[in-house]
Amino acid sequence: MAELTVFGFKPGKSVIHRLDVRFKLIFLIVISLASLKASGMSLFLLTLVLVAVLSHAGLSLKPVMRALGYVFVLLFFIFVARALSTPGDPFIEFKFVSVSREGIQQGALVCWRFFIVVMIGLCFVSTTRPAEIKAATEWFLNPIPFIPEKRVATMMSLIMRFIPVILNQARETADAQRARGVENRKNPVYRLKKLGIPLMRRTFETAEKIAVAMEARCYSENRSDPELSANKRDWLALFMVICLCVFILVM
Amino acid sequence: MKIIEIEDLSHRFSDGTIGLDSINLTIREGEFVVVGGQNGSGKTTLLRHLNGLLLPSAGIVRLAGIPVFKDLPRARQMVGMVFQDTDSQIVGETVYDEVAFGPENLCLKPNDIKRRVSGALKLVGLTHLANQRPNVLSGGEKRRLVIAGILAMEPRILAFDEPFSNLDYPGTIQVLKQILTLHRGGQTILIAVHNLQEVIAFADRLVLMKKGKVLRNGNPYELIEELEGFGIREPCPIRLEMEIQSWLS
Ligand SMILES: Nc1ncnc2c1ncn2[C@@H]1O[C@H](COP(=O)(O)OP(=O)(O)O)[C@@H](O)[C@H]1O
Ligand SMILES: [Mg+2]
Repeated sequence: MAELTVFGFKPGKSVIHRLDVRFKLIFLIVISLASLKASGMSLFLLTLVLVAVLSHAGLSLKPVMRALGYVFVLLFFIFVARALSTPGDPFIEFKFVSVSREGIQQGALVCWRFFIVVMIGLCFVSTTRPAEIKAATEWFLNPIPFIPEKRVATMMSLIMRFIPVILNQARETADAQRARGVENRKNPVYRLKKLGIPLMRRTFETAEKIAVAMEARCYSENRSDPELSANKRDWLALFMVICLCVFILVM
Repeated sequence: MKIIEIEDLSHRFSDGTIGLDSINLTIREGEFVVVGGQNGSGKTTLLRHLNGLLLPSAGIVRLAGIPVFKDLPRARQMVGMVFQDTDSQIVGETVYDEVAFGPENLCLKPNDIKRRVSGALKLVGLTHLANQRPNVLSGGEKRRLVIAGILAMEPRILAFDEPFSNLDYPGTIQVLKQILTLHRGGQTILIAVHNLQEVIAFADRLVLMKKGKVLRNGNPYELIEELEGFGIREPCPIRLEMEIQSWLS
């Protein structure tokens, strides 16, 4: 899962690292929403801001861009789909395929917005400890009745922790079956069954072991509350983000 | 002082399998005890009775005089347990969070948690990896991380279930050195293994199990001759000498 490692916490001492995670989560949502309505000019501004923030947080652009390779492929397809499907002034015509000027514009804009949302997510994830994200989730879920916020938060962090383990097990099982020629069987249902059942069994066994290990370490729902604290800096940041969003929307 | 007292302990699983059969065993504080036996002899089942993950069908286990079942949280805090499969006992997303998991469960204050986590990480020499994700660590480092997670709960007894399984040679040495350091610091150590090569030289006492029974309990060197009968390979004396010297240097 080396491709996914950019989407991980990078320790640092920048302002973004030190902001309260609850505020960061709000910023993430607000800016993403605002960028969906942004015009070309304000997207340009937002990109500048994001690049500045990323480099301030100590993330160098090159490895980030390399790791986002899949995202660019996806963006390319979105662009092509938009360009082909939007009616308007023909820009290029080839037999019965025509690409309109508006289509290119629209496509570029949509891709740019999408890209910005990904970058904002990256900013958030790489400057926030997983434990803090968990704490914030707990905090936001707390006022909602009938949701056991501690349990949800623990489950979330266990899922995050064990996705790579389960993927690894899946790969191992698939390799072992390939080594015994499962590819000669053309029926996909058969192959899915042969992969799925042992994988499920292993996953349940792992879950059982995790549960026992957690019990041995005194796990219960009654544990130390995570530490969250907001100060003046966070409110100032909130003010700035609101200004930014207003600016984006009116421009 | 007797820290663990096991009296007539028997365990029958729900399917009728006899896991343990009237076991009597006493362990003094600060002792280094190795429990040996082939697979299926009941080592894991025995360890799980120490912190109440399994409860006896008959008999009793006392920790410093108090029965385990009377106070399970106390038993779990007192007996730190390192399981065989490292990957499925690491629950934190980072090394730091993994070690903090136990102290958080004990409802400690944030400052105490921080102090304990940095203390435990320092003890096992993983401070520089505190922000890493556990899956990037090597086998030996992972096992040390698990040990740190246990140490942060400040247990009085450390129980290891097959601590050297799936480890390469450097990993084995790392973990063994760690265990020896902890023992020198006064910890009571209990290790369950099916291969005595690594640990026999350091054990104060060897307990041999077969089919859920404790059949021998005494000085490791006096029991070496009998190992074959328990399905355990006799440690090779020449290699043993060499390895002990290299490990301790
Ligand atoms: N959950 C269980 N249900 C039924 N039988 C079990 C269970 N766990 C272990 N056993 C049986 O108990 C015996 C002792 O197992 P265990 O303590 O795991 O041995 P060891 O750790 O020495 O290899 C074995 O025969 C095993 O099959
Ligand atoms: Mg076992």
